[in-house]
Amino acid sequence: MWKLTQEFIHKFIPAFEHAWLAYIAGALVAALALLAFASLFAGLASYVERRIAGRIMSRVGPNRVGPQGLFQFVADGLKLVMKEDLVPAGADPILFRIAPYFVFAGMFGTFVVLPFGAHLVAADLDVGIFYLMAITSFVVLGIMLGGWSSNSKWSLFGGLRSAAQIISYEIPAGIALLSVAIFAGTLSTQGIINAQGGLPWDWFAFHSPFSLVAFVIYFIAALAEGNRTPFDLPEAESELVAGYCTEYSGFRFVVFFFAEWANLWIMSAISVLCFLGGWKIPFVNAPEAYSGWLWILLGFVIFSVKTLALVTVVMQLRWTLPRFRLDQMMNLCWKYLIPGAFAALLGTMTVMALFSWDSPAGIAIRFCTFLVGALVVLYYIWRIVANYRADSANYKKLTGQSMWYPPWRLP
Amino acid sequence: MQYFTNIKRSMMSVLEGMAVTFSWLFRRPYTVQWPDKIPEPLEKTLPATYRGLLEVDTRICTACLACEKACPIEVIAIEVDRNSETKERHIVRFDVDAAKCMYCGLCVEQCPTDAIHHTTLFAATTPDIGDLVLTFIKPGERALPFKPKDAPPAAIERGAITQALLDSRRGVE
Amino acid sequence: MIKQELKNIDELRILREPVEGEMLVNMGPQHPSTHGVLNFLLVTDGEVMHRAVPHIGYLHRGIEKLAEQTEYAGFMPFTDRIDYLAAMAANQAYAMAVEKLAGYVVPERAEFLRVIACELNRIASHLVATGSMAMDIGAVTPFIHWIREREYINEITEELCGSRLTYNYCRIGGVSHDLPATLAGKILLWLDHFEPIIDEFDRLITHNEIFVHRLADVCAISAQNATGYGLVGPNLRASGVDWDLRRDKPYSVYDRFDFNIVLGKGFRGAVGDSYDRFVVRVLEMRESCKILRQALVALPAGEIRSKVPRVIKPPVGETYAAVEAPRGELGYYVVSDGVSSKPYRVKIRTGSFTAMSIIESLSKGVMIADLVAIIGSLDVVAPEVDR
Repeated sequence: MWKLTQEFIHKFIPAFEHAWLAYIAGALVAALALLAFASLFAGLASYVERRIAGRIMSRVGPNRVGPQGLFQFVADGLKLVMKEDLVPAGADPILFRIAPYFVFAGMFGTFVVLPFGAHLVAADLDVGIFYLMAITSFVVLGIMLGGWSSNSKWSLFGGLRSAAQIISYEIPAGIALLSVAIFAGTLSTQGIINAQGGLPWDWFAFHSPFSLVAFVIYFIAALAEGNRTPFDLPEAESELVAGYCTEYSGFRFVVFFFAEWANLWIMSAISVLCFLGGWKIPFVNAPEAYSGWLWILLGFVIFSVKTLALVTVVMQLRWTLPRFRLDQMMNLCWKYLIPGAFAALLGTMTVMALFSWDSPAGIAIRFCTFLVGALVVLYYIWRIVANYRADSANYKKLTGQSMWYPPWRLP
Repeated sequence: MQYFTNIKRSMMSVLEGMAVTFSWLFRRPYTVQWPDKIPEPLEKTLPATYRGLLEVDTRICTACLACEKACPIEVIAIEVDRNSETKERHIVRFDVDAAKCMYCGLCVEQCPTDAIHHTTLFAATTPDIGDLVLTFIKPGERALPFKPKDAPPAAIERGAITQALLDSRRGVE
Repeated sequence: MIKQELKNIDELRILREPVEGEMLVNMGPQHPSTHGVLNFLLVTDGEVMHRAVPHIGYLHRGIEKLAEQTEYAGFMPFTDRIDYLAAMAANQAYAMAVEKLAGYVVPERAEFLRVIACELNRIASHLVATGSMAMDIGAVTPFIHWIREREYINEITEELCGSRLTYNYCRIGGVSHDLPATLAGKILLWLDHFEPIIDEFDRLITHNEIFVHRLADVCAISAQNATGYGLVGPNLRASGVDWDLRRDKPYSVYDRFDFNIVLGKGFRGAVGDSYDRFVVRVLEMRESCKILRQALVALPAGEIRSKVPRVIKPPVGETYAAVEAPRGELGYYVVSDGVSSKPYRVKIRTGSFTAMSIIESLSKGVMIADLVAIIGSLDVVAPEVDR
């Protein structure tokens, strides 16, 4: 993205004739654009999550501020910013104050390599995926510091749980992404997307059954790294009050929550770019997709739709599942995910060595794996309809109203 | 083998749980947006048996004090002024402390003429807790006790008296 | 702070002794999962607990003493406040005790109405128990779904007796309101809707593997331990002890209904573990639905209240009456001095109090997350503990 902004700046502002000035200006513009995107997404995600949670629980959700309660997140943010920024007695004042910014930095740093479409990436680093894995570890530092410096035992529990969790789950996540890197032959995020195609069976997730496993494992590990249910042990509200952010208030609390919701986009976007074809447009080859603004925009829309679909899945998981216990969380990681990730890695490599991408056998495997995925989705839809039907007649008899109610309508 | 059964079971149960929650996105939510976005006020849709704020129709009160005796927590205070010459009784005070009342309904059951009864009113917030003492006979007023052989007065809509009292307390015209 | 809350000085010394690697954590009284106002003093080694000492008394309101100040009939509303989730059972137990003491006969229709109200209330109470247990484990949705179903029950009781939570439905010698015919139909319709919803709940949370693994084999209580600690109700039955007052000491008209006593069988782990206690409650709701259907069909016509003097003065004597409340045996021991219209003494025996006493012995060596599961699975309601 900074390349584009650089060109733009070169074209229209001649004062920036020095390359380094243009570089800095471009980086600043890109950073501001990304920050604006992240903030807006985090706010809207919090709103959408509350609406979805509301309807899942047969409630309404936010509905007062703005049309459909759309500006609830602005009101909440303002309220929190205006609150007193409390530092508890006995807390380490410096560490307590800077801890949220570690979390923020770890979260925001990932946006550097996250692509949004063709050309639309702040910096297409050659070590993209590796950089992603490295920078997200920053988050654990912030959470641990926040938990420890709060001088509260509940915060300490939360911080340590988080450390154990994030460090453990980086292993299966890393191995799952390793299979992607081997497949694409590059660590660059754009390179990985370019190695995949636009149609579902050209996605890496459906490359072979093993890569499907790798996708699932990466998704679970990403949930754990993002502290989302069922891995929300660090902030388990029924056990640890609020975990590492128990003692935080005001703006610092906003930063924690901002990071959590922006993280939704990050974990989903990484899954999409590595496993679900990124911004690739079906039936359009790579040079063409890079050529025009419309194609780039279409690519951006495709990427966003896929990512938002995953985001809603993550939200729905949160309101469906109970929480793991600490030892079970570790069991899952070390006994299931890590062996599974290694098996997936070996399997993917074997399939890759035996059947090349375009050989008939390779295409057949990809297509069959896609069918498996499609069958799971169909089964899921059938279960949704069955669950809906199970009560609709009785509900109508009881209340005299039809049970159907579209998700966007407010009562 | 147990290992793979575990994985399969977990996957299936998670998928099933998600199917349940997803189906709820299309079902009618139970909650309503009280108080502004419901077709008619809740006070009108509550069942008649609802034990809301107490109301006393002093025109049919016989001043038998049964409700005062029945109340376990002394919410009701009645004073009857008996003129020693004419032997005429007047109710001079009939207070119900709605803040203290626990809405058990024991007083209502004892009333022979249904003078004290529950209404479907429930929203009685005031800035001052003293405002919740419902004075059904205003200081200085005197009410004659109702005699069972008298003709009953015209019926008043249930809740009108209490609502008028609450409104006057809140300064609502 | 610690000094005030401990029971005796020895315990203080044990806790104050600095043990290598132990830490002292105060859980409650304002903690999300200490249902009501309870305080637990946790001695932990990191996440692993060495002991959890419950401290009760935050909700003590002196209800037993209040009984000595109020008349027999006037004490009824206070019984609602003992266990706010199952007020109907408390109403019935107290009414039964006074009726037994004074020798009043309750009309048959009133007995049936009491059974209907109590079983509705049992479902409502188990809804909160199982739902809040799921919430303690981290799943919020089942709890709100159960609250929604409880709303239907609240609407029914609102129409039946005028109140949603503090019913005050039973009277000495009967009940306060008759069941309208339309309401009986509504209850049946709701049951038709509710039974598939239990299945849905099972699919959503009871059979969820994460949930099962969180609860199975956690803090199993053996049958011997359960009887030893005096557990009652679903907690006792989950440990495999076949004891239910509704069948074993039939009161009211329970002997006319056909229903099963649900026992813990070790559904996914050991007998008497937290998961058993959860499943027993879910299954008991189904049994209650069965009783409700039978009672609504067999409901006889007639009086709902026998003639009882306005001021009740039972003869000298003492009596004990107990019902199977949602939290187990709920008993009233009433003593009358024969002259006063107020009870001489009322002693209340509640299930939560004994359930509370077993927590300390169960908590050795479990994790903090498990403690939350135990409190939830024992279904402790703080006001019932303290009264």
